[in-house]
Amino acid sequence: MENAIEVKGLAKYFANFKAIEGVDFEVKKGEIFGFLGPSGSGKTTTIKILTGQLDPTEGEAFVFGENVSHLKNPKARKRFGVLTDNSGLYGRLTIYENLKLYCELYDLPLSKIDEAIGFVNLKEESKKKVATLSKGMTQRVVLARAILHEPELLFLDEPTSALDPVNTLHIYEGLRALNKKGTTIFLTTHDMQEADTLCNRVAFLNKGKIRLLDQPNKLKKQYADATITVELTNDEKRQLRRDAAGAEEMYQLMKDNRVVTVHSNEPTLGDIFVKVTGGELV
Amino acid sequence: MTFSWKRVNAILQKDFKDFSRNSAVSIIIFLPIILAAIYGRMGIDSLQVHFMTINMAFAMVGTYVQCCLIAEEKEKNTLRGLMLSPASTLEILGGKSLLTFVLTIVVVFFSAYLSEYRPASMGIVAFAIILSTLFYIGMGTLLGLVAKSVMESSVIVLPVIGVFTMGSFITAWTEKYPILKVAEFLPNIQLFELAEAVEQGAGFVQVFSELGIIGIWIVVIFALTVVVYRKRMVD
Repeated sequence: MENAIEVKGLAKYFANFKAIEGVDFEVKKGEIFGFLGPSGSGKTTTIKILTGQLDPTEGEAFVFGENVSHLKNPKARKRFGVLTDNSGLYGRLTIYENLKLYCELYDLPLSKIDEAIGFVNLKEESKKKVATLSKGMTQRVVLARAILHEPELLFLDEPTSALDPVNTLHIYEGLRALNKKGTTIFLTTHDMQEADTLCNRVAFLNKGKIRLLDQPNKLKKQYADATITVELTNDEKRQLRRDAAGAEEMYQLMKDNRVVTVHSNEPTLGDIFVKVTGGELV
Repeated sequence: MTFSWKRVNAILQKDFKDFSRNSAVSIIIFLPIILAAIYGRMGIDSLQVHFMTINMAFAMVGTYVQCCLIAEEKEKNTLRGLMLSPASTLEILGGKSLLTFVLTIVVVFFSAYLSEYRPASMGIVAFAIILSTLFYIGMGTLLGLVAKSVMESSVIVLPVIGVFTMGSFITAWTEKYPILKVAEFLPNIQLFELAEAVEQGAGFVQVFSELGIIGIWIVVIFALTVVVYRKRMVD
């Protein structure tokens, strides 16, 4: 499968501070790729390099096979959409007026505005001025702007950080639908649950370096310990090893009708991150 | 480089809506007109005073308003949004300057009308005023790009307003302080000298050097603006 993004030995230094160093990864077309790490780990720096907002100090980055330096060409920018934590919306204009500007900049029919507003569940608020919106609503407008032109590649920097659970689920559904239509999504987040829910593959970034990269399920299996937890009728929780001795004990418990629940002990992505990096996800 | 009027017009329309709802900045455009009306009612008929109000219109509208509009785009990260869109540098800077251009021309026209300035050659003075407007808008754009916030932009624009509004008076001190002779090359002084020459019957050929110097200022200011803008495209 062709790559949407390819990064080789990428580094960015700000004076003596190494924001990212030796970063290598690729994102396949049609993939949802999670770039996970705590604040200050280099996620936003990477997005800025990939969208042509920052020049790398070392290494190379390619988007759709073209070096990111080509993104200074306005036509190339039509192929991707960006959502960052800086809203970049006009507060004195309404939601509709903000999106109308971008519709015209991308040369799209105005009907796209209603689609985008529906996507982020803001149809009833479309005539409200952006300055009067809550942080969560503003975030949804920024997302609507990013997907307005149905980009081939969507960069999302903490897309649900200010959203309530209902709207978060609504956005997840929308992102999956976009992905089904063929949009590749590059998602940065420190919300491991979000990454687990949405991403085909994830990379753990810590202190500017990638520590681990794989499919969430594979990582969870790889880091799972060989036990299961059994909850018994007397509220006791018993850890059983997944071997012959454990099977025998389980058989006996079931035979005595004492088993209420059985859980495999897979770690969460957050547990794996802490184990691999020794750091916390804050 | 791509160029689409549709995109320029989209930015212009957005600026018009945004500007008309921003009373803190939009009220500024009335100051030169009020000043011109007062001078006109006082019966002051001096070319220097006429051009003081015209230069004030340039500095307050062309430079100050433009500077605030650009600085606000930067401060609110909306300029970044435009930079990441398919709009080219020319479309963004053109769209961002068009509203201020029209406003400046309208304010200069009303200031001249109310202060009862009637040039001997409307064509030459109008052409020079259009050229000067481009210079002042370029200056406003440059300062707006350099300023880190709207607050900072209203501070750094003050010396510009001082020099270009009162600049005509600097030449009175050139005998005492020869270094101030440099000020004679300022675009506002060149515009004033052009207006004086026109009153004495000069045609386009006789004022070519004044127009040329203003033209050089425009080229320099826009070259600097594009360089700074391109630097701002990359963090």
